[in-house]
Amino acid sequence: MIYTREIYWNVGHGAATLVPMYLLALAAFAVLARGFWRRIRIYRQGLPLARLDHLGERIKSLVTTAFGQTKVLRVPGAGTAHGLFFWGFVLLTIGTTLIFIQADLLHPLFGITFLKGNFYLLFSVVLDLAGLVGIAMLLGLAVRRYLVRPAGLPNVRDNALMLGLLLVILVTGFLIEGARMAVTELGTPLSSWSPGGLVVAKLMAGMRPAALRTLHASLWWLHLVLALGFIALIPFTRLRHLFLTPANYLFADRGPTGQLPTLDLEDEAAESFGAGKLTDLSWKDLFDSDACTFCKRCQDRCPAYATDKPLSPMKIVNQLQELAFTPSGAGLIDTIGRDELWACTTCRACQEICPAAIEHVPKIVAMRRNLVLMEGEFPGEEVQTAAEAVEVNGNPLGMGHAGRGDWAQELGIKPLAEDPEVDLLYFVGCYASFDKRNIKVAKALIKLCQAAGLKVGILGKQEKCCGEPVRKLGNEYLYQSVAAENIETIKGYGVKRIVTACPHCYNTLAKDYRDLDFDVPVVHATTLIAELLQAGTLKLNAAAFACTYHDSCYLGRHNALYSAPRQLIAAAGGSLAEMDKHHAESFCCGAGGGRIIAEEKIGTRISETRAKQAAQTGAPLLVSNCPFCLTMFEDGIKGAGLEAQLAPRDLLELLAERL
Amino acid sequence: MKILVCIKQVPDMESRFKIDPAGTWYSDQDLAWRMNEYDEYAVEQAVQLKEQTGAELVVAAIGPDRVKEAIKKALAMGADRAVHIKDDRSFEKDPFAIASILAEYARGEAFDVVFTGMQSQDRGSAQVGVLLGELLGMETVTTVVGFAFENDTVTVRRELEGGLKAVVKVPLPALVTCQLGLNTPRYPTLPNIMKAKKKELVTRNVADLLKVEPLSATAKIAYPEKKGGALVLEGEVGELSDKLIKLLKEKTTVLA
Repeated sequence: MIYTREIYWNVGHGAATLVPMYLLALAAFAVLARGFWRRIRIYRQGLPLARLDHLGERIKSLVTTAFGQTKVLRVPGAGTAHGLFFWGFVLLTIGTTLIFIQADLLHPLFGITFLKGNFYLLFSVVLDLAGLVGIAMLLGLAVRRYLVRPAGLPNVRDNALMLGLLLVILVTGFLIEGARMAVTELGTPLSSWSPGGLVVAKLMAGMRPAALRTLHASLWWLHLVLALGFIALIPFTRLRHLFLTPANYLFADRGPTGQLPTLDLEDEAAESFGAGKLTDLSWKDLFDSDACTFCKRCQDRCPAYATDKPLSPMKIVNQLQELAFTPSGAGLIDTIGRDELWACTTCRACQEICPAAIEHVPKIVAMRRNLVLMEGEFPGEEVQTAAEAVEVNGNPLGMGHAGRGDWAQELGIKPLAEDPEVDLLYFVGCYASFDKRNIKVAKALIKLCQAAGLKVGILGKQEKCCGEPVRKLGNEYLYQSVAAENIETIKGYGVKRIVTACPHCYNTLAKDYRDLDFDVPVVHATTLIAELLQAGTLKLNAAAFACTYHDSCYLGRHNALYSAPRQLIAAAGGSLAEMDKHHAESFCCGAGGGRIIAEEKIGTRISETRAKQAAQTGAPLLVSNCPFCLTMFEDGIKGAGLEAQLAPRDLLELLAERL
Repeated sequence: MKILVCIKQVPDMESRFKIDPAGTWYSDQDLAWRMNEYDEYAVEQAVQLKEQTGAELVVAAIGPDRVKEAIKKALAMGADRAVHIKDDRSFEKDPFAIASILAEYARGEAFDVVFTGMQSQDRGSAQVGVLLGELLGMETVTTVVGFAFENDTVTVRRELEGGLKAVVKVPLPALVTCQLGLNTPRYPTLPNIMKAKKKELVTRNVADLLKVEPLSATAKIAYPEKKGGALVLEGEVGELSDKLIKLLKEKTTVLA
């Protein structure tokens, strides 16, 4: 006996079946195409943006990310359920396609059949299991959504429709199979290769064959209409993520990670800068807004949202979608809200975790750019004062620029203006130049370099703020002004290599300045010291200590520097107790996105929240390696009343103490 | 209607000041320069009046070439055109000479309203505004913290001693000197910064406008004497407040 089954059993394979079936299918796909065509017209209202370069690599990324469900699976639980459902759904789609290929193409045209024998057994059991897994996952997801009800998860009609429709389609599939098997397969060895259908068949075993046939035919047509209805509904419901999410993997930003577009400020034709209205955003921003599935992963990780500020990255994306697809005439920035825009720390936790590859941060910065460059608005007077201080003195702290290099004199470090022959230029940054606490860190780095026999120079009073805080706040003009001055100064000395201890300076010099014709290699102190240790030019006298380590956003998510700082902690003799949120899931200190120069007036303090997370590890030291983080933790630990149990230290201080 | 705003470029007060070799002024080495804070209030108020009335707004400044930076900021904030009175030795001139130069220039333009800062942050004489008003024969009101213009009448609030405020109404032409609290100066927008680069900026030689002799000269400048600075009180809260009250009674008149 050859294992197989009659395709179109009971419903017939004649014109009476095929004509209405294919007409319905054609209609469904036509509705689908028309629905997407209308949406594409809306995406195209956005500005042009090239996102199809390196097409081969993009397609590869689409295939691996979508079919591997790699982004979705990063959050266990709902992510796992989605992944399993997805693979079940893919197998069922493949199964249906195989049936179509054999029954309506190969067999009628060439007399070829392949759904038979052992392959049929495999086909049968795989599809049955895929369906069972699919049903189980849908039920699990429904329980989560409607009974567990996770905080902040929005429920709309689409969610019920999607879960309900998919569930009914799968269940009717098993009912059809069961009815067929009750008539044709019960009692044969074949039936055990369809375990799901077998259970249904046994339940139906008492029914008369004629009744089973009527039931089967009715359910078959119902199943068909539901499946085609599902296809037709895709563009009009959140089912559209079936297409938009994989497409967004194709259109994803290929990096460098977190690099913002550099505006052409000299463009005479530009009437406006930044995004003040929807059409100032790119087509990709509008596409992103439509691709959101409201999984709230971004919101769950947003430090502003977690500390009762009005910002939710998910809400912003949703509002953009509503502005684009159901225009009410409301203004872009008025709809999103100024407090929401200013609350962002550009920590990138939202963007890092988004399973749909939505780019939240550039949208927020684009709108901030409009507020600053077109309206002269800032989150507060203190920020305007800081911006003016950068203009006048080259630092947001308002310190006299001439004293910028004073801290280094006692270490014998000279400005390049006095001695340009150095191995390494240390781009110090504003906080390590002027802030007493951070000057200690700068001195630690110098001592480490000197111990390794490296000759280090600084720019001293010629150094200006790298421009990062004002850039992230939207002041692209001021950023480009200070950047141009720094670039001219550094190039003038023929510097071979630059080290920074500030991740914000590092990110700016190593990435952002690349758009401004600057190509001097830049290394972060953590990487440099790790190199020196490895090469044996630097030796540490390890002394045991216990600590927890805070991944700063700009070393971690923005630059993927996770292992070097941990290696250094180990090399110094440290035993590390990780916080709940670490590596790519690290929780911002609150100072990114220019927030270091803004007062935190809304909600609770992000720095205190992070200090409490650190205290939970029981470690007495909170080690970080960013001047902004250190500044925030000095305050946050005091604010949270944790001084007795937790002290903030910079990694470089711990290393220099062990020379 | 025509408005004039007079501004001065001064060093940022966080700068490290050194006395110049002549001993009569500070050295201009290692200084960061900016628009005098009080003049920023003057520019902001002048721009608001221009926006209200559609008047033409002219900005004037005396000094070496670097003062053009301050002038450009005023243009970016909204002034229509600028006059730079080039004078590399302006720091040597007394308030009367400076006011006379400005008056000489302003007479040729027939301004209806003139704004100046209450004083400069470096010399701090607070005289240029009043002297200029007198020389131009204008109604002059100093230390203004509120400004309104209606029916050709200027209504201002000015600061008096002891926290009192006075409301003064003056007809045009009028000059006001602007004090902290009058307004929050705007941050120039990028399109306005770009437009400012193309606005008229005329440079005039100070020799053509200087018709008077200074009435005073700086004999010598010196660092302030270092005196005992802060006193740190220590102890429990109750004890601390007793100590503080005792100090306030003995050393000050606030509790008298």
